[in-house]
Amino acid sequence: MFKNLFLGNTKVDFYKKSKFFYKVFIIEITIFVGIIIMVFTNTLDLNLSVDFTGGTTYQFDTEYSSEDISDVMNSNILEVSRYQTFENSNSIIFRATEASSEEEAQFLDYLSNKFNIPDSEIEFQRVGPTFGQEITQKGLRALIIFLSFIVILITYRYEFRYSLIALAALVHDLLLCFSIYLLLNLEITPSTVIALLTILGYSLYDTVILFDKLNDARKVKKQNNLNIETLNSTFNEVLMRSINTSITSVIPIASILFIGNYLGLSGALTDFALPLFIGIMSGTYSSIFVTIPFLSKIIKN
Amino acid sequence: MKNILKLLLLPVISITLFYYTLSSNISPKLGLDLQGGISVILTAPEGTEQELIEQAVEIMRTRIEAFGDVQEPEISISGNNSVLVQLPGVTDQNKAIEALGTTGLLTFRPVLDSSLTNGYSPAFDYQPNPDDPENPLKIVPDGVDEIIGVSNEDNPNSISYLLGVNTGFPVIYELGPAALTGNDISDAIAVYPDNEWIVSLELKSDSDSKFTNLTKDLASKSGEQRKLAIVLDGEVVSAPGIAYDVDPNVGITGGNAAISMGNTDTGESANNLAVILRYGALPVAFERSSIQKVSASLGENTLQLGLQAGIVGLIIVSSLLFLYYRALGIVVIFGLSSFGLLFYSVISILGNFQGYTLTLAGIAGAIVSIGLAADSYIVTFEKFKDELKVGRSFQFAANKAVDDAWKTILIADFVSISAAFLLYILAIGPIKGFALALGLATIFDLFFTRIYTRNAVPLISNITTNPRLCFPIKNKDLQNV
Repeated sequence: MFKNLFLGNTKVDFYKKSKFFYKVFIIEITIFVGIIIMVFTNTLDLNLSVDFTGGTTYQFDTEYSSEDISDVMNSNILEVSRYQTFENSNSIIFRATEASSEEEAQFLDYLSNKFNIPDSEIEFQRVGPTFGQEITQKGLRALIIFLSFIVILITYRYEFRYSLIALAALVHDLLLCFSIYLLLNLEITPSTVIALLTILGYSLYDTVILFDKLNDARKVKKQNNLNIETLNSTFNEVLMRSINTSITSVIPIASILFIGNYLGLSGALTDFALPLFIGIMSGTYSSIFVTIPFLSKIIKN
Repeated sequence: MKNILKLLLLPVISITLFYYTLSSNISPKLGLDLQGGISVILTAPEGTEQELIEQAVEIMRTRIEAFGDVQEPEISISGNNSVLVQLPGVTDQNKAIEALGTTGLLTFRPVLDSSLTNGYSPAFDYQPNPDDPENPLKIVPDGVDEIIGVSNEDNPNSISYLLGVNTGFPVIYELGPAALTGNDISDAIAVYPDNEWIVSLELKSDSDSKFTNLTKDLASKSGEQRKLAIVLDGEVVSAPGIAYDVDPNVGITGGNAAISMGNTDTGESANNLAVILRYGALPVAFERSSIQKVSASLGENTLQLGLQAGIVGLIIVSSLLFLYYRALGIVVIFGLSSFGLLFYSVISILGNFQGYTLTLAGIAGAIVSIGLAADSYIVTFEKFKDELKVGRSFQFAANKAVDDAWKTILIADFVSISAAFLLYILAIGPIKGFALALGLATIFDLFFTRIYTRNAVPLISNITTNPRLCFPIKNKDLQNV
């Protein structure tokens, strides 16, 4: 099996399986849309970080008891909306709604006295509510320009229909990642947004390499249109590259996650690694199993 | 031979650059999130003129440098109306934030005396010392520094001793209570009418008489006491004297005044003064849209994590590819190591000469690029294998594989570079650092594929023609296809 896989001698009839993958794709998209509807109807909570909602966070390492936490939550200096603790470390994070600078300074003093740590060791972050909007707006603008550019590029090099397939794979990856975030109620930070943008590039990179291989195979066999045989042989050959590439890409990211977890660090870097981890897996999957049903449709027509 | 030279070109460049960074002690300039400090993003109201924001940035820079304990403050305009202020190593956030956010307190105060009269601070009073006539007793008022003789705190309502460096050398002024404040000024502009720079000042109509009375009083005096100090946040920014043709019985009337600035420079000091008069400290009312404080220890931990993850990732990826591709794996290990050295060196050099700071997002970009770089080798080797499979000779297959792979990698990397480029242009803050790291790594990847891999793979195929040395397959397997 392994030898066949390595030689690209596997004889999977991808064309025949395309209906199955199409169904899987439709089911997935239905689930994603369902999850998003649940967010809009407030059945699911969108866990946005302080960067998007505005407010302040205070993070520090200390020995604490649950009493300490409830003391802080009930302190009347400013409105502490929630807290977060971590299994592997003594880190603790308090989140509060926006307040005046004096109140913030007072609260910092309070924490520093209560937990007996110098206030320079308390991580402090304050974000106005417009900042998150700005990130989101700029991110969306970047996304739209980038996608239009990709459509033009793929249309120029291959075909217009191919660019739609690439977009379908892309949307699949983004939605999958987003849905997992929503379901696990993970916090969405600016790092998550950067990671989503990276997934975008990654997913396209994978799909483009695949299209290139299909194109080559077609040229070698001097065919004008894609046919079933070329589709099957190309995908069988490309399996090994896809598996190898996703393994090599995932390893550095997995090492961030595991080393980070081992050291008890939960910061921006691990915030970043998780969506990438999901995204690369999903990108590898979609570059093969989301494109096949659509490519098969092209062949049928 | 020529191929070997080409093959060695990039590794040699990488090692040379790396040696250069080591020998001249250059290391990447770390961002705030990796070394601790305070980062503030200020946002001006929509539609604020670019020029005003630039002026504000200049003023903030001087104010922050006045702190003294800031290592390398970095203030940059990002986007249309945002200013990113990075204060590495600063822990006293209240002080730092105060300096950035608020517009300063501007007051006009009559000069009572200055160190120009007798060479030392007017705060000091020397009394004859009966015990030691050589060393008179120095009497220092409360709240005044004993050595230089400057008030510890600027109180606009009582006599203060404040420092001014506007004349090019330090002068300590004894100032009376504030007679006017920045709120009394309606406009100020720098003009150059007759071979001389002038700051023309316009007062608000209800402050007009206050100014006239003040100048009447000053015009009746002489020497230092004829001067009016303009004080911003406890520092005398200018102390013009009242012209001798002003009648002490009339004063300056009409709500207008002109401050002569001479013609010694290109109007820079006149412009600066006009800006200060017009806006207090900052010409723009900024909103603090984000403040982030990172403690030094957390920054260090994150950096460690990033480095460890990067190195572990690189080692595992190299070993896996070595197991898979054997002799070709050596090409990968050598290539990826050079790639890593080059990336590190260029980031260090950019940090040193262009001010590029390596942030967490940048490290993330670099780690992602390991996967990208490794993929280029995989694409090439897989093409090589495909060519062998269809029965090509080892030599031919190697040459064709590197040519075909180059085309594929070119378009795939082009997608990555465009993504990085667009992100860089459109995004703000951390996303920029990420985009730059990713874009840079992708460009290096193109160079390595074109120059290094393209020559290395055919070289391997010259040395051996046994597929077992390159792939976990046997000749027999190839023939069976």
